[in-house]
Amino acid sequence: MGIPAAFRWLSTKYPKIISPVVEDKPIVMDDGSVIPVDTTRPNPNGEEFDNLYLDMNGIVHPCSHPEDRPAPADEEEMMLEIFKYTDRVVNMVRPRKLLMIAIDGVAPRAKMNQQRSRRFRSAQEAEEKAADKEELLKMIKQQNGGILPPETLESLTKKAFDSNSITPGTPFMDILALSLRYWCAYKLNTDPGWANMKIIISDATVPGEGEHKIMNFVRSQRSSPDHDPNTRHVIYGLDADLIMLGLATHEPHFRVLREDVFAQDSRARTCKICGQKGHEARNCRGEAKVKDGEFDEKDKAVPLKPFIWLHVSVLREYLAVELDVPGLPFRFDLERALDDWVFMCFFVGNDFLPHLPALEIRENGIDTLTAIWRDNLPFMGGYVTKDGHVDLERAQYIFDGLAKQENAIFKRRKESEDRREAGFKRRKLQEQQRYGHAQGGRGRGGGFDSGLPSGLPKALTHDMVVNRAPTTTDANVANKSAAAVLKSQIQGLMPTPEAESTATNGSAEKVAPEAGTPPSALGKRKASMIDADAASTPGNSSASGDAPEAEDSVRLWEDGYADRYYERKFHVDPKDLDFRRKVAWAYVEGLAWVLRYYFQGCPSWEWFYPYHYAPFAEDFKDIAKMEINFEKGRIARPFEQLMSVQPAASRHVLPSVFHDLMTSPESPIIDFYPEEFEVDLNGKKMAWQGVALLPFIDMPRLLAAIKDRYPKLSPEDAARNDRGTEVLILSEANHDLYDDIISHFYSKKQGDPKYKLDPRVSQGLSGKIEKLLEYLPHGTLEYPLERKGMPNLDDDRSLTVNYEIPASSHNHKSMLLRGLQPPVAALNRSDIEELKGKLRNSGRSHGGA
Amino acid sequence: MFIAFIAASQTEDHGILCLTYSQEIACFSYDDKHGFHLDDSSLQWYYPAELGADLSTGFETFDKHDDSADEHLDSLLKTVMSYEEEEGKKLDAQVVTWRGMMTKIMSVPFEDRDGFEMNATLYQDCIFIEENHAYKQASKEEQQRQQQQQQQGRRGQFPPEVMAYWGYKFEALSCLPRPWGEVDREYIEKRGEKIVSNKAQYCSVVRTGLGKTVMCLGGEVDAIWDSKPTQKGAPINWIELKTSVEIRDDRSMNNFERKLMKFWIQSFLLGVPKIIVGFRSQQGILTKLEEIQTAKIPETAAKRGVKSWDANMCINFASAFLEWLKNTINDEGVWRIRRRPHSQAIEVFRVEEV
Ligand SMILES: [Mg+2]
Repeated sequence: MGIPAAFRWLSTKYPKIISPVVEDKPIVMDDGSVIPVDTTRPNPNGEEFDNLYLDMNGIVHPCSHPEDRPAPADEEEMMLEIFKYTDRVVNMVRPRKLLMIAIDGVAPRAKMNQQRSRRFRSAQEAEEKAADKEELLKMIKQQNGGILPPETLESLTKKAFDSNSITPGTPFMDILALSLRYWCAYKLNTDPGWANMKIIISDATVPGEGEHKIMNFVRSQRSSPDHDPNTRHVIYGLDADLIMLGLATHEPHFRVLREDVFAQDSRARTCKICGQKGHEARNCRGEAKVKDGEFDEKDKAVPLKPFIWLHVSVLREYLAVELDVPGLPFRFDLERALDDWVFMCFFVGNDFLPHLPALEIRENGIDTLTAIWRDNLPFMGGYVTKDGHVDLERAQYIFDGLAKQENAIFKRRKESEDRREAGFKRRKLQEQQRYGHAQGGRGRGGGFDSGLPSGLPKALTHDMVVNRAPTTTDANVANKSAAAVLKSQIQGLMPTPEAESTATNGSAEKVAPEAGTPPSALGKRKASMIDADAASTPGNSSASGDAPEAEDSVRLWEDGYADRYYERKFHVDPKDLDFRRKVAWAYVEGLAWVLRYYFQGCPSWEWFYPYHYAPFAEDFKDIAKMEINFEKGRIARPFEQLMSVQPAASRHVLPSVFHDLMTSPESPIIDFYPEEFEVDLNGKKMAWQGVALLPFIDMPRLLAAIKDRYPKLSPEDAARNDRGTEVLILSEANHDLYDDIISHFYSKKQGDPKYKLDPRVSQGLSGKIEKLLEYLPHGTLEYPLERKGMPNLDDDRSLTVNYEIPASSHNHKSMLLRGLQPPVAALNRSDIEELKGKLRNSGRSHGGA
Repeated sequence: MFIAFIAASQTEDHGILCLTYSQEIACFSYDDKHGFHLDDSSLQWYYPAELGADLSTGFETFDKHDDSADEHLDSLLKTVMSYEEEEGKKLDAQVVTWRGMMTKIMSVPFEDRDGFEMNATLYQDCIFIEENHAYKQASKEEQQRQQQQQQQGRRGQFPPEVMAYWGYKFEALSCLPRPWGEVDREYIEKRGEKIVSNKAQYCSVVRTGLGKTVMCLGGEVDAIWDSKPTQKGAPINWIELKTSVEIRDDRSMNNFERKLMKFWIQSFLLGVPKIIVGFRSQQGILTKLEEIQTAKIPETAAKRGVKSWDANMCINFASAFLEWLKNTINDEGVWRIRRRPHSQAIEVFRVEEV
């Protein structure tokens, strides 16, 4: 699911799942001193929490390219940013028992395809951005008589942090892990609010995606008889999916914590070009900033973005109403119904499969499926899923129900698109009439009130080059596209006849086609990634660039679409119906894989969906005949994942022994690293919504190619390719557990170097711990980074051991635990009536389910 | 020799008596054929039953333990002996008996309908008490005869054997052979189809104190909530399972409150902290589950103004009685402890010389 779309959909339909976070902030005194938040005090949110889980990539990424201040200058500055942000999140939640920090480790193969596509695109974008900056510098130079004025901002000339290095196996991830260990130990030593907390760090050396490592942990604790069923869990992360994962735990006292995505628009942001405050990108002159006060207090007065809670318990309440089907021939079990609902949400979008063409979250695809499910449940004889396993016979009912509506969905989609398009054109026309063409036909799209003199102005600002849409509703998109917008507008300003002619034909987001660009670095790209702010105006059809699928030749709304789809997308004979079934079966396998991944943990590290496109609902035939078996398979090593997901342009994140495999024409796997690749819009408007047609990695070939490079690795590099374990850190103040571990590992009569935690000593935490060779009690805690931004501590009163999450030999069960005290109901009668009102006609707009 | 201990004279409050909390020192199990094992193999874990279950289901196939043979204190003594061997020292208990015997004694001040007979003997400074099996069998037969008579009067009532089965059925519906995390969903969902048996048991052997008397009691515990602590002597989160008819009026409320005395005494003696009551309809359909903290029963009863019993008096009476018993039983012959129905006195007399 797309993040903003999913959140918007969820919060519109189920408004009470969201509530604002009450946050105590540090108090700044008149003399400038700061009184930090005392987290030993009761949580201002009126409820205490036990465990906080951080899906750490959701902190690291935003810190590497913050929206409201300049990007960190180097890795150390970045670490300090990460500490600051993490501290803020921990202060909000004040976990009383446990903090788990999970960084993405190597991912299952099924995920790597998406990562690969993202990284290839982001490398491409970075290249564009660099080119755009160069272009701007050139222009500034031009104005300035051929020399770059000294006040031109350093950041404009500096290379940006490559966020592709936020991947397991990179030196950056090593530094991150080290820094986090230091910082947690430091906090345990110095912050009384942390003293009783146990901290688990699962860094990038531990395989698995961060949020799924967290789920594994929650499941493992849950299956222990000593787990408290009333544990209050909070997970921080950016994925909309976390709320699904929360549901999947069947721990009702579960919340998701995140920044308020909807609050961004109203916040003061910094310029996206130079990272300074006080102006927006369109007014950027690329000048060094004027110092704010004597010491240039960077973050004074920047209002912090507010956070929100997403209450899994409230979503459970809503779904209990929505999924309740009266008159069932079997017992209604909310836990099972919730699982089915989560399963159906996968159909609409997940990280591992392309979504079904008929299902769009914006078009209430989930409602469509829910209606089918409700109508069929009495006849299915039971639920579609059971503890993460699909009953294929029952799933067939859902596909059949969807297939019946598929045609109508495509037709209706086209109709409403046409309506939107017409409305958009009408508004455009009205605007043009209002403003006239005062600019004398110079290359400006309509809609701007500032006059633009002919010829280049004296002092060029970005206001003059950036032709922004007046309304930006989707900050994420805006963010992504800033460079592209800038670039296109620079092009628009350049006196080329093509640019002029295309730029005047109506659309504010119109960008110059590649054909019209001067022969610069910009011209080299093949598939256009330009997406502009046009996301808010889906009627716009400008972003297709010169991609071969610029025109939607499949035309889903016209008869014969399936034939055309398989012919154009899969290059398969339209008569080859066997092939369609093969694709559908692979897709079913994929759904089964995802379901198991969510409910039981990764079923196979090697499985992946081997197509770029999804089948139609009508192609799912005889799926009950399938037999689904997953083999656990081999977990990739960090460098193998890097080789699988990184483009050649990001090879610097890999040891140099691998580089030529990605660049040399002689490399046996050079075909995995295309410089140019096609992005198929596949009926979408924006390139970022399109499908990157990258070749799939053939793992045996990749492994064969890198095998003989392994011996050439330096010991440090080889170490980074190894698998690590989780660590548990706790303070001496946590007496029982601390003393227990010290007496086991460091007393005169030491026990085994590995033992099982006694949940009565560890406040319910289960698992095995192992002595960490490099740790000695009461040693020196050393700050691991160069510039010594934080102190060393002489007498470290924290303790670090290796930690092993207990493995369960049994299937995890979607059941409530004994002793659960249900959360206080949040919905009142009118909320329930309102939802029921919405349900009466929802999901049935395409004919009978 | 014939000595009577008069219950009524001992019901005044003696103030706070010294209470030692019950610590499990050993355990044993009966398997599903009622075979004895010196281990915890028959331990069960609690997982709540599905409401709406018909507690009569499976009565025809009930695998009932035949308790006509006198089992004496055999299992308890075997376990204590093994404990003493392992510890290398004698257990310091002054009284060794089944929990059921102490329950009868503790309820004496507020329960005079039924009588009891026990046999006691002193051996190496310790009094061993067991039920007089013959008396038990006789009174059971008498009870059945009476119930049958009543049965003829009330139509539509379930036979007493079926009603007795409900308790076992409730237990079968509420327990798992392993912790929840180690049991398959299928097992949990099919608990209702399992053949009910009362042959298998887990018995806890505890050391506890009442007044100045140190006792060793053995008794069945139904289930555990979480896990046994690794630390010896640490309290264990045992679960006692009970069924009771739904409370619909004052009469059933009063009955339930009287019943709570028995629940409390039984659980108190073995150190069972939590009782789960399965309320059932007249027809034996499980309608509600309620968790009751054992320790809170006395105060809750006091707060509600329950007149029918008082926890302190139960404790005081039993303490005084044990004190008296220790002075009374002074040789290794066999003694009878007897209470006749509706009598205010417990009689103790020698039935067999040394
Ligand atoms: Mg993640």
